Amino acid sequence: MAEPDQTTEESGGGDAGGPDVVAAGAGTAHGSDEIMIELQEVTKRYPGSNEDAIESLTLQVPKGEILVLVGPSGCGKSTALRLINRMIEPTSGHIIFDGEDVTTVDADHLRRRIGYVIQQIGLFPHRTIADNIATVPRLSGWDKQRTDARVDELLETVGMDPSMYRDRYPNELSGGQAQRIGVARALGADPLVMLMDEPFGAIDPITRDRLQNEFLRLQQELRKTIVFVTHDIDEAIKMGDRIAILGERSRIAQFDTPERILAAPANDFVEDFIGSGATLQGLSLERVRDVQLNTDYPVVRHDVGVTEAQRVLETSSEDWLLVLDDDDRPARWVTLDHLDRTDKRLIENGRKVTALAEPEDTLRDALEEMLLSNAGATVAIDGRGKYHGVIELETLMNVLQRMRREAKAHYARHAEPDTDDTSVDA
Amino acid sequence: MDGIQSWVEFVVGRPGEILGYTIEHAILVAAVMASAAFVSILVGIAVHESMAGRSVALSVAGVLITLPSLALFAIFIPVFGLGWTPSFVALFLYALLPILRNTVVGLNEVDPAVLESAKGMGLSSRQTLVKVKLPLAWPVILTGIRVSTLFITGVAAIAKLIGGPGLGHYIREGQTRLGLPLGMERLWTGVVFIVLLALAFDAFYLILNRLTTPRSLRSRGG
Amino acid sequence: MAIATATEDEAVASPTRAKVSDFLTRNAELVITPAALLLFGLGLALLLSNVELDFTETRQLNWDTTSRRIWETVELAAASTVLVLLIAIPAGILLTRPGVRKVTPAVLSSASIGQAIPAYGLFILFFAWMGQGFWTAVWALTVFSILPVLRNTMIGVEQVDAAVIEAGRGMGMTKLQALVRIELPLAVPVILAGVRTALVINVGMATLAFLVGGGGLGETIFSGIQLSRNLTVVVGAATVAILALGIDWIAAIAERVLRPKGLRGRTSPTDTANPI
Repeated sequence: MAEPDQTTEESGGGDAGGPDVVAAGAGTAHGSDEIMIELQEVTKRYPGSNEDAIESLTLQVPKGEILVLVGPSGCGKSTALRLINRMIEPTSGHIIFDGEDVTTVDADHLRRRIGYVIQQIGLFPHRTIADNIATVPRLSGWDKQRTDARVDELLETVGMDPSMYRDRYPNELSGGQAQRIGVARALGADPLVMLMDEPFGAIDPITRDRLQNEFLRLQQELRKTIVFVTHDIDEAIKMGDRIAILGERSRIAQFDTPERILAAPANDFVEDFIGSGATLQGLSLERVRDVQLNTDYPVVRHDVGVTEAQRVLETSSEDWLLVLDDDDRPARWVTLDHLDRTDKRLIENGRKVTALAEPEDTLRDALEEMLLSNAGATVAIDGRGKYHGVIELETLMNVLQRMRREAKAHYARHAEPDTDDTSVDA
Repeated sequence: MDGIQSWVEFVVGRPGEILGYTIEHAILVAAVMASAAFVSILVGIAVHESMAGRSVALSVAGVLITLPSLALFAIFIPVFGLGWTPSFVALFLYALLPILRNTVVGLNEVDPAVLESAKGMGLSSRQTLVKVKLPLAWPVILTGIRVSTLFITGVAAIAKLIGGPGLGHYIREGQTRLGLPLGMERLWTGVVFIVLLALAFDAFYLILNRLTTPRSLRSRGG
Repeated sequence: MAIATATEDEAVASPTRAKVSDFLTRNAELVITPAALLLFGLGLALLLSNVELDFTETRQLNWDTTSRRIWETVELAAASTVLVLLIAIPAGILLTRPGVRKVTPAVLSSASIGQAIPAYGLFILFFAWMGQGFWTAVWALTVFSILPVLRNTMIGVEQVDAAVIEAGRGMGMTKLQALVRIELPLAVPVILAGVRTALVINVGMATLAFLVGGGGLGETIFSGIQLSRNLTVVVGAATVAILALGIDWIAAIAERVLRPKGLRGRTSPTDTANPI
């Protein structure tokens, strides 16, 4: 396995000069120059073992970002996470949390300032939901009124009706609900940092997807600093502002934004790990609102008349004509064939438009729609359903090419010794 | 130290006598266990699939084990008189619950997937019971028998109070001769040999478990 | 702030119906048991009032003597159970702490062999050391019934889901807080099952207290045996049986009431508890 290359140095070098730069692409990163968590050459060797579980791990987590530690099972990623809140003590090295060396502060007090979510959730089965969420506020000595208010607020935050769930017990919850409560409980005393160890690992794929989306939306408001452990590269790409791909003994194989990891894997290990679907994965990082839509597509309102429709379609290079309804919403796809063969009204002719994409949908969603659509194109609409433009295969290929180009350019710049780190990728 | 030495002398001086009482005790316990295991396993097989049958059988056995031992020993005196018979009956009733419970639990714990595949291969319910369920439940049943045996071995000492056989003899003698020479030695002989007998039974079950349980199931029986 | 979320597919099936039937199933025995015991007791009283008792029988079976012996049995059982709780629960907790944990298997396996120690012998040994009296009987009972509580306390604490403790520690609970707020409450059902077992043992073995002058209903039974009065034997045995079942019934109720709320509805750990 390769030594951590320049990619690690880049992020580890934040203290050397300019702020650690985050790619603006995909609009996911909202990094600041403040480092919240820093691991300095941390090594962990368990007693009785003659091999390090973690070998000299150095990384930084900027405030407000989600860092995902991802790697094959047994690579020590959970151990690395548990070092941060001192569930495990490091053998050597330093862990700096919010400017303090964690080994110098009381472990229990430290943990009250750090939210902690684990795969098994570990809700207290003998306590009500409210009591569970109130755990840290109570440990921190909040008064009852403030605690109660906080519990209700957090239940609302995770989308569960306080009056309905407050007094229930964990065994009355489904897996997804229990995990929501787990997150609410971790947010109890409004910690700056959350550590999440495969939090959605034991949940069915559909619910997991929903919880991930909810959590990302929540994070947009809360802007917590989060270290997130998973073995699932798809989850890492979806959740992470940055990803650290860990190999054996938690050595960093690549540390970067999801976009750049997908576009330019640092070595064979990373390439293997992200797998053959990496290109498609890249599409899930871009949203419809961020791409250049094709607005030259042949489009008519349904009340223009068949002759006009024929004329528009004949003058364009496309085979399909998009017909909009009274409210400018995409309604039908028609071809010249349709127009010639029947004298149906435009609004009833051809095929119904099914492939639609909203601004918040990812390009991967758009691609899936496209493959199922008759016209081989996805219609982009705005929030109210009005026609916005058309996404074609070409649109997507342009995006992929641009991502690859940007990643290459980024690495080309950073390979040179005195790179100006402050430039921001487009 | 003196006490131990004089106890050892006491034991060494009466090998035949002590062996005799120990064998009596062992025979009583073995007879009780054999019949209790036979009955409990049969009843367990009969009721394990019926919710109602299960709860009736377990409740009855549960009540029996809750009864104070002296009461259980004594209550059969009017019917059977003193001696071996009431002792046997009382101990038998005591021994049922652990075996019955473990039989029911063991039979019902068998992985449904295993039963499904047995059914799918065309085994009748009797064949499933004999070829699949019982072998898989056996380690659990054996644990029940073992627990019962340990407990019966100790309780059997009380049999002496209703004229029954066994090592209770030395405890009774120790009681009547307390303060007299060799009183304590007798008492300790009773207690120690009962525990030794229990250990011997335990070792027997350990070997039986080895011999009758496939290697893959052994850890389950405990 | 709030995230609009649909939880429709996650809705938990209404537990109301299950609760009602569950309640009935669970409580049927709690109603039937005392009713049956009451009937049995009344029958016994009826039998006694219609039978001509000779002098010896009257001396053993009159209400004053019987009620005194019932009370003695209850006192013996109560005192020894309290002592067992005071000794076995702290000891059991201590034995599950890291560092001491290595001896846990050894303690558990000696606990299982310990069941074979004859209560009869134990009473006489304590008699030899402590002489006659109530407390001799109490200590003998305590030693005899300590193992189930010790064993269940250890198992109860050890079986607590490690993830729950991890979550608690991860939120900043100290070791002591985790023990008091998580481990012990979650061990309560198993510990209670052990306590109930100990209580039943203590009531049962309290009938042997007469051997050391500790009183109790054993006196009635044993005098019946010695004087060949079968009626006395049967009445004594029946009375102590009713008492034991009644106390077990109370213990069963206590077990249910004391079990932490969120843990109810799970199967009772008593079903798998060690037999006496």
